[in-house]
Amino acid sequence: MIDPAVIRQLQPFIVTAWHGHRNDADIPKPVREVWDWKFQVLGGMRQSNVDLAVLDPGGRVIHSFDAFDRFPGRPGESLAQYTARELQRGLGLLELDDLPLRQNPLALPDLDGKQGIRIFVTLKDDRLRAYQAPIVEVVALTPDDWKPLAYPRQSRQLEADSLHAWLSQVYPPGIMERTNPRTKEAYTISSTDGTLSLAPVKNNNGLRRAILSGMVRLHDEGGDGFSYRGQLEIVLTYPPGEDQPDSLRGLFEGTYPRRDRAQNRNRTIPLEAVFESIPGK
Amino acid sequence: MRQLFSLYLLMLMATTGLAAEQPTADRILDRYKQKRPDARQLAMYRLDWADSIETALERSRAEGRPVMLIVIHARYGDITSGHC
Repeated sequence: MIDPAVIRQLQPFIVTAWHGHRNDADIPKPVREVWDWKFQVLGGMRQSNVDLAVLDPGGRVIHSFDAFDRFPGRPGESLAQYTARELQRGLGLLELDDLPLRQNPLALPDLDGKQGIRIFVTLKDDRLRAYQAPIVEVVALTPDDWKPLAYPRQSRQLEADSLHAWLSQVYPPGIMERTNPRTKEAYTISSTDGTLSLAPVKNNNGLRRAILSGMVRLHDEGGDGFSYRGQLEIVLTYPPGEDQPDSLRGLFEGTYPRRDRAQNRNRTIPLEAVFESIPGK
Repeated sequence: MRQLFSLYLLMLMATTGLAAEQPTADRILDRYKQKRPDARQLAMYRLDWADSIETALERSRAEGRPVMLIVIHARYGDITSGHC
């Protein structure tokens, strides 16, 4: 979904998603149609667990296809090319006159004017390009949440755990081995530790700024001692006479361990997070 | 006088060690700009998302536009959570 050809094909569409199991109650009609085709007509062939479906404005399924083509129709075709081709096929079957050209604006997750932090998380795994698409999360923060970051007249230390509300978003998506085997939910970050430094920036041309820095270790709720760590560096800006920052910009640069079962070894993959306060200044 | 001056120097050195430098702040902000995902990497957020099938179908009827439905056969496949 970050490939330009796929994005172009998707511009006319309203895009939505549904997730669940075949034995769920109240499966929406379009989903039942997609699965009827997938499991009864195709009989289990060409199966991944993700399907894409084109629906006309009446809600009818016009075309559906497996998101991961197990039997490529065209040798050498990339997944993005396959997806764009199937979308084009679906558009052709729609028989809609004059689909308006659209250029949708970039609309990142936001908090509708409330204060908080936006976090972009990227796992730099070169084995699966999908991991490199950034996750974007937003966390609303109250004045109490900002208190640990009050303007430091002198350098001081603070515990990373006091910033758990937003540091806990620094984890990669789709790591199957870090999901609860019973609930199938991804493990969330249960604790954040490390001692950080918050120091005022001197010689700053009248600006009141501070740097938050230090090593942070994050533990998930898996209960097996799994953790990973990285360096946090953030610049905070404070309005004159105020203790609460009005701007936060910075990074977490660390590594994430994964077990390579095929080669029976551990891999250490770069994990990055970018933080910015919102509303933006 | 010399003692006062020495005391002043000591205090200056002590506070200098405790504060951060402006170039460090500028370096972090430059790195933030480099690492922040660009519009191409965030292309998924240029799509016109509806948060449910029902909303998508209502809008589709009202606007005369097709729907792209992503069906994820999994309990943990909530694409809107970010960490799908």
